[in-house]
Amino acid sequence: MIKVANLHYKYQSGLEVLHGLSFRIGKGEFVALIGQNGAGKTTLLKQFNALLKPTAGSVGIAGLDTAKSSTGELSRKVGFLFQNPDHQIFMPTVAKEIGFGPKNLHLSKGEIEARVAEAAQAVGLTRYLGHNPLLLSKGQRQRVAFASVLSMQPEILVLDEPTTGQDYQEGIEIMEMVKKLNEQGHTIVFVTHDMELVATYARRVIVLSRGRVLLDDSCRNVFYHPEILKQTNLFPPQIARLAQAFAGEGLFKRPLTVDEMYEEILALASRPEGAKNVCCS
Amino acid sequence: MSAVANYIHRDSFVHRLSPLTKLFWSFLLMTLSCFFRDPLVLAGLFLSIALVALAAGILKEMLPVFKGLLVIAGLFILFQIFFITDGTTLFTLIPGTSIGRVTDVGLIGCLAMGARMIVIAASFPVLMGTTQIKDLVVVLVEKLKIPYPYAFMFVTSLRFVPTFMQEMDQIIQAQSSRAHRLDNKNFVRRFLSVCPLAIPLMVTSVKRAERMAISMETRGFGVGPRTNLHVKEFRTVDAAVCVCLLVAGIAFVALHVKGVLV
Repeated sequence: MIKVANLHYKYQSGLEVLHGLSFRIGKGEFVALIGQNGAGKTTLLKQFNALLKPTAGSVGIAGLDTAKSSTGELSRKVGFLFQNPDHQIFMPTVAKEIGFGPKNLHLSKGEIEARVAEAAQAVGLTRYLGHNPLLLSKGQRQRVAFASVLSMQPEILVLDEPTTGQDYQEGIEIMEMVKKLNEQGHTIVFVTHDMELVATYARRVIVLSRGRVLLDDSCRNVFYHPEILKQTNLFPPQIARLAQAFAGEGLFKRPLTVDEMYEEILALASRPEGAKNVCCS
Repeated sequence: MSAVANYIHRDSFVHRLSPLTKLFWSFLLMTLSCFFRDPLVLAGLFLSIALVALAAGILKEMLPVFKGLLVIAGLFILFQIFFITDGTTLFTLIPGTSIGRVTDVGLIGCLAMGARMIVIAASFPVLMGTTQIKDLVVVLVEKLKIPYPYAFMFVTSLRFVPTFMQEMDQIIQAQSSRAHRLDNKNFVRRFLSVCPLAIPLMVTSVKRAERMAISMETRGFGVGPRTNLHVKEFRTVDAAVCVCLLVAGIAFVALHVKGVLV
């Protein structure tokens, strides 16, 4: 679905941000891109819909070379959700805002209306379709932006820190929507600094450090390599750190979330020698 | 183009001058440019600005700005030159007709207007590139007695030019991700295609201004008299530079009155 080969990118200022990245992301994957500020995460994301084009190397999206494609052409394949919804909202109603993208694709009126209704329902904004999007809360505005990306019906969803500035509940709700879309077959690539979110939702994690891939593995394998993560000022989620603190006792396998640790504690407690271990520890 | 209003740190003679001296230099150039209509004299004035930028060590940063000004002046000339019918015809765009006629008066007049525009505009980025905004505010308020809120408003609007350009870049990216096109061939559609960019920029700017106002008020903006931590003194060297500039200015005007320079 996404094929990155020896990708280099240098800004006009001469600053080289990406240094020869190579990886593939298959259809239906749920990938988190993590790394410290300035690692090149957003620069990499912008390569996926040709907002930025490779200085050297290539990026292929569903067989299309981004160097030879425009952002508009790729918008049918790649939906890009930006950090700040206010950078795109301009229409007087939520319905028109969601319908802006499909209108640019010259779809029929009926098709646009159907897509608007579907996208609004997916993000829980159906009853706000007639509202002015600028008067909604930040969380709701982010949903409007998300719906306006969904209405393009892209196969790949690229999300740049989708939960930034949202309260915990809003953040979880957005990620649950993303998870649902992934279950429907969409490929997800998202950037976040929230390791708990990564542990809960991502199945694969790519760690970037100074424009290079430091780690590319399953979420569990990445978070149980704290010494490598530390090189890029990242820390595993608290549950993983707690489990690692007990590594010497051999108590836990490799839990990532509270639910997983709870299951492991229950399993331990059900064994007579395990119960003793848990109590003593 | 963010260099238009950005301070570029260097340790040069020009940087060390008082903002008042540099304001005087800028004002003198603007005044002189209004006296002359010979494109060569105006080009000479522009060259003097480029030399000041070179002396300040910021010529490299100023080159894109000057290039932009040249493009604007070129467009300005292009829009004017065909409408001046006085003088002898030099050539027409379509030979044998009067369509696209360019006359000697039109050519010299338009070149002069373009060059004047460049001189008037070019000194400003050099002034801003060599003067810290806080120093400029102090001079505007303390020496030129401009009320502080106005001086602050002026310099803040300059400070936000690069920020707004970054915001605009983000907005263009967000809208083009939704297949929005700006390169429409139809003029009306191209004009309308600016709305998806202009409205978010306006909304984010208003929000930013609101946040900034609150942030300033919470830090005591507008309460009681202000003091300044650093004051850039008007030194002897500044007085000498101002006298030299004044003498040069008077000489130029005298040569103009005598008809040597037109």
